[in-house]
Amino acid sequence: MSVASTALATGAIYGLEHLAPVVSLSVVYLPAVLLVSAYWGVALGLATSLLSAAEFNFFHLPPVGRFTISDSRNWVALAAFIFVAIVVGTIAELARGHALEAERRRGEADLAAALARELLGSGDTRAALPAAAHRVAEALAIPSAAIELGQAPGGERQRALALRDADRTQIATLLVPRRLKADTTERVRTRVVPALEAIVAIALRRDAIQAEAVETAALRRSDDVKTALLRAVSHDLRTPLTAIVAAGHALGTGSLTAEERSDLSDAVVIEGERLAVLVDKLLDLSKLQAGGAEPRRDWVSLEDVLLAARETLSDRVGEIRLAVDPDVPDVRADAAQLERALANLLENAHRYSGKLPVSAHVRRTGPGIVVRVVDQGPGIEPAERQRIFEPFYRGARAAGDHWTGSGLGLAIAKGFVEANGGAISVESLPGQGTTFIVSLPISEQAAAGAPHGRRAADDARMSREQPRMPV
Amino acid sequence: MTSEKPRVLVCDDEQQILRALRVILRDAGYEAVPASNANEALDRAAIHRPDAAIIDLVLPDLDGVELCRRLREWSEMPVIVLSAVGDEDAKVRALAAGADDYVTKPFGPRELIARLRAALRRTDPGPEEVVISTDGLEVDLARRTVRREGEQVHLTPTEFDLLRLLARNRGRLMTHRDLLAAVWGAGYADDTQVLRAHIANLRRKIEPRDGPRYIRTDPGVGYRFAG
Repeated sequence: MSVASTALATGAIYGLEHLAPVVSLSVVYLPAVLLVSAYWGVALGLATSLLSAAEFNFFHLPPVGRFTISDSRNWVALAAFIFVAIVVGTIAELARGHALEAERRRGEADLAAALARELLGSGDTRAALPAAAHRVAEALAIPSAAIELGQAPGGERQRALALRDADRTQIATLLVPRRLKADTTERVRTRVVPALEAIVAIALRRDAIQAEAVETAALRRSDDVKTALLRAVSHDLRTPLTAIVAAGHALGTGSLTAEERSDLSDAVVIEGERLAVLVDKLLDLSKLQAGGAEPRRDWVSLEDVLLAARETLSDRVGEIRLAVDPDVPDVRADAAQLERALANLLENAHRYSGKLPVSAHVRRTGPGIVVRVVDQGPGIEPAERQRIFEPFYRGARAAGDHWTGSGLGLAIAKGFVEANGGAISVESLPGQGTTFIVSLPISEQAAAGAPHGRRAADDARMSREQPRMPV
Repeated sequence: MTSEKPRVLVCDDEQQILRALRVILRDAGYEAVPASNANEALDRAAIHRPDAAIIDLVLPDLDGVELCRRLREWSEMPVIVLSAVGDEDAKVRALAAGADDYVTKPFGPRELIARLRAALRRTDPGPEEVVISTDGLEVDLARRTVRREGEQVHLTPTEFDLLRLLARNRGRLMTHRDLLAAVWGAGYADDTQVLRAHIANLRRKIEPRDGPRYIRTDPGVGYRFAG
């Protein structure tokens, strides 16, 4: 580079000789020295200076074609060139250093922004860690990086760097390859780690606050539920109780007609039964809520359970059609709990279906068994579907007329179905009725043989017949 | 009082309660005018002009409090509300809306009838008693003297006014506001601390040590004179 530029300058001076005294033309070498030192540094600038002085001496200073050491003009030019080379080269190198530093800083700022976006933008810090690690690797141009929460060990090929919060507690670990350039390692330590640990600390605190908020909201909601529960229990227990007490007193008065007497004694019986049903349901519900509904599992035929459930309601409800597909295997469940769940669903369906029949159909679907309880009632508005399983929630359409439901049936059904590993859901078209869907898992033993394996079916029959023997 | 039986509007959406109340009221010498919802109650009240009303706070069409307010718009008849524990708030709102008293479900019919009689005395006070005496306590309204077990008790003028107001409304619930407005003036209607302090002093002077016998507290609502 020095040679090329000085050669160019030497050539240019030939063209300029007739315009100015040769001696003053040494300045033509200056741009060469300047450019070389600015772009390639002081060392190359000095080389260019020496070469320029030599070429000027040899080609232009008289006597041309010879080196004349004694000429003082030559030394002056050389000193000037060297001075320029050092000053310009140094300044240029400083500027280049600053530019490089600025570029790095910008990269770091970009990285911090990207990390903040990844880690703080997502709701779940743990899930965002791989994306954040990818950003680090990208910014440092290293093959891989990983971030793990808590302490993670390094390895033969990975270096573990601790990320600490303000209290100097390690909250996470940054893992980078061991074989990195020294300045990259230095950058990671001094630049990346502080930014990363600050952001991870904020993200983790945000997570904790969020979890706390969710918990508080849940607590508050459960308090609301308890208050509503207490109020409803108070009202629902007192109403039949009031009717019984009042009817009892009325029966004690004189001058009753025969009709009044029979009405009043009917009232005592009807309200007493209503109270008994409500108390049973409250006991079911409190058992469920206290976690005391541990199912006693045994082999259970859904047909038997549905028949029994219908039996418990027969006095109170109208037509209920039951159908069980032949390929439905028995399930492992608590028969009594399943019966309570289905009886509550049937009773609910009947309440809304009015005089129209209710049906329950049991089918086998891929992974399990599905019981569909279908009514022809008014249906449930989408907004209500979320709430119908809450204790004491009553459908809007039922609230108006003289209706004596407890508002507990669906909560109990859901509780018992879930206690037995099942799930309950609802489908409804307003105006066209409602279907409650109970899905129960098929236990592995039954699934292995069913639907056609005779041996498994025989085993199942035997194992479920044994406990019945003593009865 | 006319020879006709006093009519009592009874509004409850429970048929069984309505049926029993009809018999209980008849036995006590009243005629029940039954209604199973608020709108029916308003209609029947307009037609039959009952002397009093007993209404449930939980009705299918209108809030019992609102029914109270609507009845009060054109009638001064005593209103007793039926409430359940946990409905404290509704009870207080009903009293503010003009109800005279409340009975908590499940109520004893004797209690209900006693409350009804006391409430009816407000609109038909009967001959004024000069000396009100009950269970060892004697309040002489003309001489402004009080005797307990024959022994004179010294009361301040305010204490006597308070006791006189309670005693003249024997059995009736007097809300904090009623008492404060009558004894201290309308400007003091919300000053329940003053009332509490005077009731405490009054009790110290007239009540037996083992607990109040004459002035009963209805927590958060008011006081009533026993009897």
